[in-house]
Amino acid sequence: MKVLVAVKRVVDFNVKVRVKADNSGVDLSNVKMALNPFCEIAVEEAVRLKEQGVASEVVVVCVGAGAAQEQLRTALALGADRAVLVESADELGSLAVAKLLKAVVDKEQPQLVILGKQAIDSDNNQTGQMLAALSGFAQGTFASKVEVAGDKINVTREIDGGLQTVALNLPAVVTTDLRLNEPRYASLPNIMKAKKKPLETLTPQALGVSTASTVTTLKVEAPATRSAGIKVKSVAELVEKLKNEAKVIQ
Amino acid sequence: MDFKLTEEQQMLQDTVARLVREGYGFEQRESFRASEAGFSHAFWAQLGELGLTAVPFGEAFGGFGGGGVDTMLVMNELGRGLCLEPYLHSVIFAGGLLEQLGSDQQKDQLLTQVASAQLQLAVAFEEPQSHYHLNDVQTRAQAVDGGWTLSGHKAVVIGGQTAGLILVSARSAGGGRDEDGISLFLVDPQAAGVTRRVYPTIDGVKACELLLDGVFVANDKLLGQAGKAFGALRYQQGRAIAAQCAQAVGSMEEACTLTLDYLKTRKQFGQPIGSFQVLQHRMVDMRSELDQATSMAMLAACAADQADSDERSRTLAAAKYVVTRAGRFICEQAIQLHGGIGLTQEYVLSHHAKHLVMISHQFGDDDHHLQAYARLLQVA
Repeated sequence: MKVLVAVKRVVDFNVKVRVKADNSGVDLSNVKMALNPFCEIAVEEAVRLKEQGVASEVVVVCVGAGAAQEQLRTALALGADRAVLVESADELGSLAVAKLLKAVVDKEQPQLVILGKQAIDSDNNQTGQMLAALSGFAQGTFASKVEVAGDKINVTREIDGGLQTVALNLPAVVTTDLRLNEPRYASLPNIMKAKKKPLETLTPQALGVSTASTVTTLKVEAPATRSAGIKVKSVAELVEKLKNEAKVIQ
Repeated sequence: MDFKLTEEQQMLQDTVARLVREGYGFEQRESFRASEAGFSHAFWAQLGELGLTAVPFGEAFGGFGGGGVDTMLVMNELGRGLCLEPYLHSVIFAGGLLEQLGSDQQKDQLLTQVASAQLQLAVAFEEPQSHYHLNDVQTRAQAVDGGWTLSGHKAVVIGGQTAGLILVSARSAGGGRDEDGISLFLVDPQAAGVTRRVYPTIDGVKACELLLDGVFVANDKLLGQAGKAFGALRYQQGRAIAAQCAQAVGSMEEACTLTLDYLKTRKQFGQPIGSFQVLQHRMVDMRSELDQATSMAMLAACAADQADSDERSRTLAAAKYVVTRAGRFICEQAIQLHGGIGLTQEYVLSHHAKHLVMISHQFGDDDHHLQAYARLLQVA
C-alpha cells in the first residue's frame, strides 16, 4: 500500500514570534523554521506502517516555497522514500493546499493519506478534512491510534467526550494528534541516506490547480497583553463587574 | 565568508539539540551526576546509536567524515545541556590520536567501536607537575621483552574511571621536557599494576588519578612510533580545544538566556529589574562577549582541521583564551544579575558557571595560551 504524507514548513515551536510593524503579518525574517510537529508525527506513523510491512512506499509532499526542501529532506531522513515539493512562494490557505494535495493524490494514487491535524502557525485544523471531501476519501481525524485491518483502517479519535474508534474503508485520510506516536530522531546514517533519495518539484500550474484566494488578510496584531487581576470586596461587586466591564453576563 | 549550514549539518544540529532538550533536563542531569559513572550510559549509548559519536571519523569506520564545523555543531548543543558524557575526550581527543597514529590493524580493531560508542576511551596526558605542558612527561616507559613497562602518575584523566582503554603518554627516551622521546600507549585499566583513584571534578564531571606501577604493555599496544608521539598529541589537543570552545559557547548561550529571562521576570522596586538601564548595559556586555567567543569558536573550528602549523596553533591559543575569558565574565555577571539564587546548587546557572571555570583550566589556562600566542607571534 502506498502512503502519502503531507507536511508543512512552519516557525520552530521554540521561537517567540513577533508581528510586523505594519501589522501585515508575522515577522519571519531570520526566524528558525522547522517541520510542523504534527506532521513529524504523521511521517513517523507512515514509516512505522512501512516497518510493519503494511505500507510499501512512503511518499512525502509539501506545498511551499523552495526552502521547504529542508523539511522534505528531514522527512526523508526520518524514513520516507520519496519527496515531492509543490513549489509556491505565495502564502496559501487550507483550501488551496487541499486542492493542490488532491492533484498530487490523483497523480500518486495512495491508499492512505496522513497529515498533521493542524499546523502550529495557522492552527486551522481544516486541510485534512477538505482533502478528504475533495477526493471522496473516508476521514479519521485527531487520531491517537491507527490500525490497518485488511482493506479497512481503524482510527481511534480523541474527541471532546473521550475516545471514539471508527472503521474507515480505504482509501482514507487520517490526521494525527499528539499522542499517536513519539517521532524518532534522525540518525546520522539516515541523514546521509536522505541526500540520495529522490525529490521532485512540481508547480500549481503543472498540476492544473488555481491557487487564487477568496480570502484577504486585513490585519494581524498581537493579542492584548494580560493585565493584572483585581480583587473585589463582595459578590455584588463581582456581579456588577461581570455585567458591565467584562460583559459576560446580562 | 559563508556561514550557512548545509541541510545535513542543519539536521545534525537539530537531532543533537532535540536529544539534549528531551533527555538532559536539569533534574535528569543531577541524577546522572550522582551516579557511579558520573554520566548516563543510556545517553552515551544513544549518541552511539544515532551515529553522533561517529561524526569525525571516516566512512570506513561508520563515520560521517565530519570536520571541525560538524564537531562544533554537536559540541555546542552538548555544552548547552551541560552533558557529562566523555564525548570530547573519547571521540575527539582519543579517537583523533588513534586515527592519526594507529596502525591499520589497531584502527580496524578499535575505531569502529569508538565511533559507535561501544568503546569509551580516555587520554592520560597530564601529570601533577606538567602544568599544561604536553612535553613534560615523567612517567617512564621501559622497553622489555615483547613490550614495555610503564611507571608513573598521570593526573586528572577525564573519563578514565569508565574507559575501556586509556591512551597514556610516557617517556621512552630523553628527559624532562624533551619533545622527542614521548610515546603513546593503549593501556587496559584492568591490567596488573594499574590503580585508579576516582573523584568528581568541580563541575561534576568525573576523572581519576592514574597510578602505573610496572604495568606491562605489549608491543602492539604502542600507538605510532616510539618516542614520536608529541606532534600528534599537540595536533589532537588542538582539535580538542576547538571542540571545547564550541562546548563553552553553548553553555554561555544558555547562561545568557537564563539571565535575560530572569531580568524580564524578577520584579523588585515595583518593576522587572530588566527595566533598569544599568542592568541592561551589563546584559549587553555579556552578549558582546558571547558574540566574540562565538566568532572565535567558529574560527577555531575551521582551523582545527588544517595541517599542523604555527598559525593553527596560534589561532587555537587565541580562541581558547578569548572563549574562556568570555566564559568567566558571562558566568560571573550572570550570577550577579541573578542575585543569591545564581550561586545555589538547585539552580542550573551555578553549574554552568562551574563548568565554564573548569574549562578555563583544561588544555591550558589563560597564562599558558597567552604565552603560547606571544611566542608564536614572534616566530611569524
